[in-house]
Amino acid sequence: MTLTEMQAPAVRTEGLVKHYNGRDLTVEAVRGVDLEVRTGEIFGFLGPNGAGKSTTVRMLTTLLSITSGRAEVAGADVVRNPDEARRRIGVALQEAGLDPRQTGRELLVMHGELFGLSPSQAKERAQELLALVELESAADRVIKGYSGGMQRRLDLAAALVHEPDVLFLDEPTTGLDPASRLTVWEELRRINRHGTTVFLTTQYLEEADQLCDRIAIIDGGLIVREGTPAELKADLRRRRGGDQDPTLDEVFLDATGRTRERAAGEVQEVAAA
Amino acid sequence: MTATLVLGRRALREAVRQPDALFMTMFIPLFFLVVNTGQAAKIFPSGSTGFLKGQGYAAFQLPITLLLAASFGMAALFLVEEIEGGYFDKLRAIPIPRYAMVLGRLVAEGAKGILLSSVIVLLALPFGITIASGPLGFVLIIVLSALWGVVYAGFMQLIALKTRSAAATNSGGLIFFPLLFLTPNFVPRDLLTKPMEVAATVNPVTYLMEAMRSLILDDLDWAKILPGFGVVAALGVVMLVLNVRMIKHYD
Repeated sequence: MTLTEMQAPAVRTEGLVKHYNGRDLTVEAVRGVDLEVRTGEIFGFLGPNGAGKSTTVRMLTTLLSITSGRAEVAGADVVRNPDEARRRIGVALQEAGLDPRQTGRELLVMHGELFGLSPSQAKERAQELLALVELESAADRVIKGYSGGMQRRLDLAAALVHEPDVLFLDEPTTGLDPASRLTVWEELRRINRHGTTVFLTTQYLEEADQLCDRIAIIDGGLIVREGTPAELKADLRRRRGGDQDPTLDEVFLDATGRTRERAAGEVQEVAAA
Repeated sequence: MTATLVLGRRALREAVRQPDALFMTMFIPLFFLVVNTGQAAKIFPSGSTGFLKGQGYAAFQLPITLLLAASFGMAALFLVEEIEGGYFDKLRAIPIPRYAMVLGRLVAEGAKGILLSSVIVLLALPFGITIASGPLGFVLIIVLSALWGVVYAGFMQLIALKTRSAAATNSGGLIFFPLLFLTPNFVPRDLLTKPMEVAATVNPVTYLMEAMRSLILDDLDWAKILPGFGVVAALGVVMLVLNVRMIKHYD
């Protein structure tokens, strides 16, 4: 990595746009997103269902073509230099994407080898990661038999095999029980302490509040708020008046123009918080 | 190449863990061999049927059995499963050559093809079938059959990538299936009716079948063998290019 690349933000987008062209209409999923994620932070990317979160993440991780605009991850342009970008990122998407017929260890060793490690290095790295995500005892069992939480943790481990600069996590705790969720949070903090930038999408506002250094809220394909959780709460308090800081739920509802009643139908987690 | 081998090893492990799939792949083609031979052997007695070159009718039918067995690959269905489960995206986010993603599974199809066709030919030998072209001919039959399995599975992968659905991939396979039968599978090409002869002549599978048949019934006759390998090579290149293109533009 060059000095310029080391100083570059972990993620930078300029006017990022994604249109899906249907037979009769064009859906504008992302309508011009400008983002800058600093190296070393945990960045939360929030928004209601269909706001453009996953589409943005898929563009940043080279999985989806970009209609217009630019995106760089760890200094690598995702369109012009996708393999370089892939080398620098780790990806764990909404559903734990795993090969159910392999064992946990086989999968991690294979990923290590695909990222260029020698077989012995890959085995060693797999062992380290299995310990990190506390799956050593299940390492030689076929993944098909893993619980949802175990699969999510293995998915996280697979995303870390090559020690990426930036880790993209798309709703990593959706569907997990509270204990598994806390385990994932702890692992994310530990990964971040080791210097990996984390780009996290979530619908759980408490999760964002607990984990993230800064957050952005996307709605209708556009960024509508960006800042630290404290800044966003303070901003809302200033505009509303009053002594008490609002919650992040209130910031979210204010930013997306939703009421609690509407949110109950669209973003269940908001109503439950 | 390393990535292809790593992914190939994974696909082989997968195949070994599902031995029942191999059994069905072998059973159906052998069933057709027995039934077709049973139905037509009396019509074509070996003593008076010139195109059998002194062998029984089963020897004439063996190539379609091998081609059929090689066309039952599971690669495309495993791929659809991976697409639906999200693992395909995980692989796409790794900086490996896109051709490795295509060829990885096909390595296993090739290995399975070698195993299956060897077993089928070896099972056929005690029933009076001989390989007239000798040990080299035996090897060439196995290689040709396995390569056809790879190419066929590759085209099925193409359907899987396009449709991303198991049902559509299965149905898509049925489009290719008639190609196996628009061939001189019961009698040589010159004994077919005119429309069937034309269809068989333009069907590339015919040249594979005739190459295999030549290896079973004749001494090494390169004029018949090479077109079979040529067809597999040409279709293999087309298959690979289309698959890589599809993955590169996969959204």
